[in-house]
Amino acid sequence: MEIKYTIQGLLIYAAIAAYLSAFLTTFLRCERIGNFLYLLGFIAAVLAFVYRWYDVRHVPLQNLFEVFLCLGMISYPVSWFCRYTLGAGGYSGDMLIAAIMLVPAGFVFSAEPQRLPPALQSWLFVPHVAVYALSYIFMAKATFQAISSLCVMGRMQHANSEEATYRMICIGFPLLTLGLILGSCWGKLAWGDYWGWDPKELWSLASWLVYVGYFHFRYMFGKKYARINSLWAIAGMVFILITLFWVNLSNLFSGLHSYAT
Amino acid sequence: MNRFRRSILWAALVLILLLIFLSIYGAFLGAERAKKFFNSLPLAVYWIALTVLLIVGIILFRRLVRMPALLLVHFGCILILAGSIWGSQAGHKLQNRLLGIAKIPTGQMLIYEGQHENRVVLEDANQIGELPFYVRLKDFRVEYYKPDHLQIQSWQGKSWKIPVEIGKEILLGEDVGTIKVARKFESFKIKVEDGKNLPFDDPNSAANPALEVEIKSPDGKAATRYVFERFPGHTRPEDKLHLRYQRIISDYISELQIIRNNEVVVEKGIEVNHPLHFGGYHFYQHSYDADAGKYTILMVVSDTGLNLVYAGFLMLCIGALWHFWLKHLYSAVALRHVNGD
Repeated sequence: MEIKYTIQGLLIYAAIAAYLSAFLTTFLRCERIGNFLYLLGFIAAVLAFVYRWYDVRHVPLQNLFEVFLCLGMISYPVSWFCRYTLGAGGYSGDMLIAAIMLVPAGFVFSAEPQRLPPALQSWLFVPHVAVYALSYIFMAKATFQAISSLCVMGRMQHANSEEATYRMICIGFPLLTLGLILGSCWGKLAWGDYWGWDPKELWSLASWLVYVGYFHFRYMFGKKYARINSLWAIAGMVFILITLFWVNLSNLFSGLHSYAT
Repeated sequence: MNRFRRSILWAALVLILLLIFLSIYGAFLGAERAKKFFNSLPLAVYWIALTVLLIVGIILFRRLVRMPALLLVHFGCILILAGSIWGSQAGHKLQNRLLGIAKIPTGQMLIYEGQHENRVVLEDANQIGELPFYVRLKDFRVEYYKPDHLQIQSWQGKSWKIPVEIGKEILLGEDVGTIKVARKFESFKIKVEDGKNLPFDDPNSAANPALEVEIKSPDGKAATRYVFERFPGHTRPEDKLHLRYQRIISDYISELQIIRNNEVVVEKGIEVNHPLHFGGYHFYQHSYDADAGKYTILMVVSDTGLNLVYAGFLMLCIGALWHFWLKHLYSAVALRHVNGD
């Protein structure tokens, strides 16, 4: 655990506190105050991200500290988009997701600034990581809906949550595909091969395939086995988490992506 | 849905699940062994089965033809698989046997500065292949981020990281004293003149980056120390500070010329993320002579099948965006239009 006694650390902690307060107040049905606190948290997260950008002199998406900072920041616009454009529920859950996303940046990963190694100096660096980050937020929302669809009892509510899960995955899947393909094109430019069979690449392929399996299963059976549909969605998130954490942190899976710790 | 179509879908689901498990297994093997595993004969059968199943799926499912976006997704997957199989080691062997096209799939070249070379050490067989043209290394250089840094650590556990600025004296603390970088060497050497050791920069010898550092303790005692980038931890027992010279590589650049019929036909500086493409091959900056910077190691990769793979990537992306995003967006707009919003 690493507490950060810096301006950036304080901004991250302020964002976490605001997101958590927003969740609690919304949960207690004070929605207007909750919305205001959620916006405050977002502003603090944006400030932390911009501060980091200025500090390291490149778009801060190099390591897990920066990726989680970015995830905590983009949670708000994604949540806003889902609520007002897609009409999806789970707004209070989004506040909790945003707070959870910032916890690794605030307490787990080191904020030591790093220079970009030659392999990361590519125009594909930002789109590849940013697209993945966006897809992860949508998939996290989908997982949240899938878990709630498993927990709720009423048939109608259950069907609604299942449908919301599907809609979230429909938004996140093209981004996941784009992230995989951009990474592949980048691998070709940097290392000479669009597929290096690196552990992180294989886990990201496995994550993508879980969602491909989800779509095929849902096409075959529709909502007949809605609970199994939800389990597919949750399994997808488990694979994403393994791709994100285990490969970077475990000695088991050293490979080309090990610099991203 | 008839029984045959349903069994095709079941087969697809089984192959997807199988690939998920194989990917997890491959992740435990590490990149090198996983590459061999996924290129082995049983897996070749799997890849061909997957490709055939995708083709059969497109033929059998009319829905795919009616929905161009989904067709693009599935056809994109076929192209990616076909391009990968065609560009693999086995694909190259097959092309040689059937079409008489003899291309090196992948390998490495070691070239000294000022020399030209056409021999490639092949990846798998440790054999030598020859390119139909020569590659000349005009110049190789390593670039570093500016400024360099000097890391200082006291025995009490205090640490500093200061940028290297020649002649600038920095106060580390009342109890520690001051430090100044007096000189910087690229190739540090020592000669003896009149019984004295004289350090100097020797451009003809191997690189040995070093700093000459002057340390003044609070009681006014001065000492000169040499800090070597390649030999960290070079300290004396009486030293109160542990010094480390740190430079971070920003780029490796090989200035290459392609020579065909004794004429330079292409000239390009290649670096990581900026390969050279010529004569059906890509040339990548792979490694270099870390001691003296006198040679570079290039990775040579055949471009066979690459266009198919890229076309597949494009189709898969367009298809996915179209099917999952644009179709729903269009439906929403159409619905609003019908409702008169």
